[in-house]
Amino acid sequence: MKRLLIALASTTALLTSAAMAQEVPKIGAAVYGLNAEFMQIWSAALEEHPAVVNGEVKLTIFDGRYDALVQQDQFETMITQQFDAIIFVPIDIEAGAAPVQAASDAGIPVIGSNTRVNSDLLTAYVGSNDVESGYLEAKSVLDAIGCEGNVVILEGPIGQSAQISRLEGNLQALKECPKVTVLEQQTANWSRAEAQTLMENWLTSHDGQIDGIIGQNDEMALGAIEAIRAAGLNVGDFAIAGIDGITDALNAVKAGDMASILQDARAQAQGALDLAIFRARGGDYEPQSDIWVTYTDMPWNGGADAEYNVPWTPVTTENVDKLLAARQ
Amino acid sequence: MPRTDTNAIGRWLSPERRAHLVQEYGIFLAFLLLVVVLSASNEFFLTGRNVSNVLLQTSINGILAIGMTFVILTRGIDLSVGSVVALAGIVSASFATTSPTAGVAGSPYPVFVALSLGVLVGAASGAIIGVIVARFAVPAFVATLGMLSAARGLTLIFGGGRPVPSLTPEFRWIGTGNVLGIPAPVIILSAVFLLSWWVLARTRFGRYVYAVGGNPHAAKTSGINVTRIKFIVYVISGALAGLGGMILTARTGSALPQAGIAYELDAIAAVVIGGTSLAGGVGRVTGTLIGALIIGVMNNGLDLMGIESYYQQVIKGALIVGAVMLDRNRGRTA
Repeated sequence: MKRLLIALASTTALLTSAAMAQEVPKIGAAVYGLNAEFMQIWSAALEEHPAVVNGEVKLTIFDGRYDALVQQDQFETMITQQFDAIIFVPIDIEAGAAPVQAASDAGIPVIGSNTRVNSDLLTAYVGSNDVESGYLEAKSVLDAIGCEGNVVILEGPIGQSAQISRLEGNLQALKECPKVTVLEQQTANWSRAEAQTLMENWLTSHDGQIDGIIGQNDEMALGAIEAIRAAGLNVGDFAIAGIDGITDALNAVKAGDMASILQDARAQAQGALDLAIFRARGGDYEPQSDIWVTYTDMPWNGGADAEYNVPWTPVTTENVDKLLAARQ
Repeated sequence: MPRTDTNAIGRWLSPERRAHLVQEYGIFLAFLLLVVVLSASNEFFLTGRNVSNVLLQTSINGILAIGMTFVILTRGIDLSVGSVVALAGIVSASFATTSPTAGVAGSPYPVFVALSLGVLVGAASGAIIGVIVARFAVPAFVATLGMLSAARGLTLIFGGGRPVPSLTPEFRWIGTGNVLGIPAPVIILSAVFLLSWWVLARTRFGRYVYAVGGNPHAAKTSGINVTRIKFIVYVISGALAGLGGMILTARTGSALPQAGIAYELDAIAAVVIGGTSLAGGVGRVTGTLIGALIIGVMNNGLDLMGIESYYQQVIKGALIVGAVMLDRNRGRTA
């Protein structure tokens, strides 16, 4: 009898919350992991979205803890709790397909952000083209060394979508400079410490030969800079570039040590949230984030596009102070 | 070789003596062999700068592995060191940063405050583990697995998940400085090694560590305070992890919350390759140091030859298992 009462009570609670959800859409954001700076900026931008601040939507962020299975479980949870839309940043391009399928079967729209997933069931995707960033950063290194000389490439974990695409971009730019030799190309797993060790060893085995360093992210470029310093060499003698625009890299750009290409986490997050709310309300919604005003190259188009491409911003000595100020 | 006790040479080459020789010098010979092979196959390997690099790259794992040796000698294990590295790194860095937003006070504290805090944080983590293992008899694997998770969480909480950049030159000295061309981390590793060697080989505490690992019941009945010894080894391991974390932070120039992931595995690998038995009671820090050097030399040599890091992992795996098989074999002959 007691158990029955509890069951009744919880059913009522569920019904009430379902009724409330009719008014305030529940949006879930499943991100691959919150340990690194980039996804923290991304998550913070979601929380700062006008619709979240005004209480027009109820936002829950799920930390995937870098585990595809954890993300899948979180999708099950959101489906059970009848979320109205899901924003998805998968850990893996292939493993992300199953949860998207499950949500789609339950009739919940899924908006991809930042990282791609190999599924045609995604309602829309807001991200930046990694091939483009790979091209831009390699180009900045090659321009600096006059399209001639020797470079090394510090790669992300082999097989991750960002590594594959950024390498493709790197190679595109390298093709334009046939006089440039790639001395070494090896993974440092996005890690500053690993890149530092690798670079120390390369500076030994290619003593005085390395002109440029293409780091597929900022962390690894920063590790290379530390290795150069530790070897007693002059950082200014090397052309170094990274991608993402993390705070340490912005400071290094300011100091003239490297070049970086900013990936706008805020635009990726807020753009995806506008699309998620748009879908959750069945099309009755106008976007509220200011990013649609900032990026005229990325029009809202009535929320109907399948893909929104957030442009990259090369960090320069001119814009770095403004970007740093925005981080405070 | 027949066993003869009648002449000196025969005695010198007795099975016990031979087993002893393998135990004492086998790992050292393996290390020399590796150095010879790498020197022959790569012209840069034996250059002064590369030797300095290898020592530098070995220093953090060496320090962690020496702490791990104390723990493993008592039949324990410390899985928490990688997380403690990150925690001590971020706490100490918060007191040594010139960044107005990332630090604790807006301006850096004197460097000894930051450095002491890093060691203290590590020692405190070790003390918590020590109490749980020694006083409440929770298996070391479980207690330190718990700390692995908790310390990582505390790191993220303390730093808000963000890195702490812009460290003072004084703090960075322990990672990037040098004395007469010898990198500071190498000097610190040498000091830690010499002190640990002396403690284990020459002090009563050292003898007790071996006794506790060799036979805890016998140790207890002979009046050794087993609880106390066990507690202290985890404090040592934690404090050294704290020290290693600060050196890592000083080297990379920024305290990263995701630093040190899986460092405990390299430390355990160095201890095992160095011939310390996971069953406790047998092993030496000299072996551990050479074990750490073997890992460092191998990674460095394969990098110089341009071999992909994925192969390095396979080779390291084979090395660990091979070392333990040698250890088993040694157990039978000795």
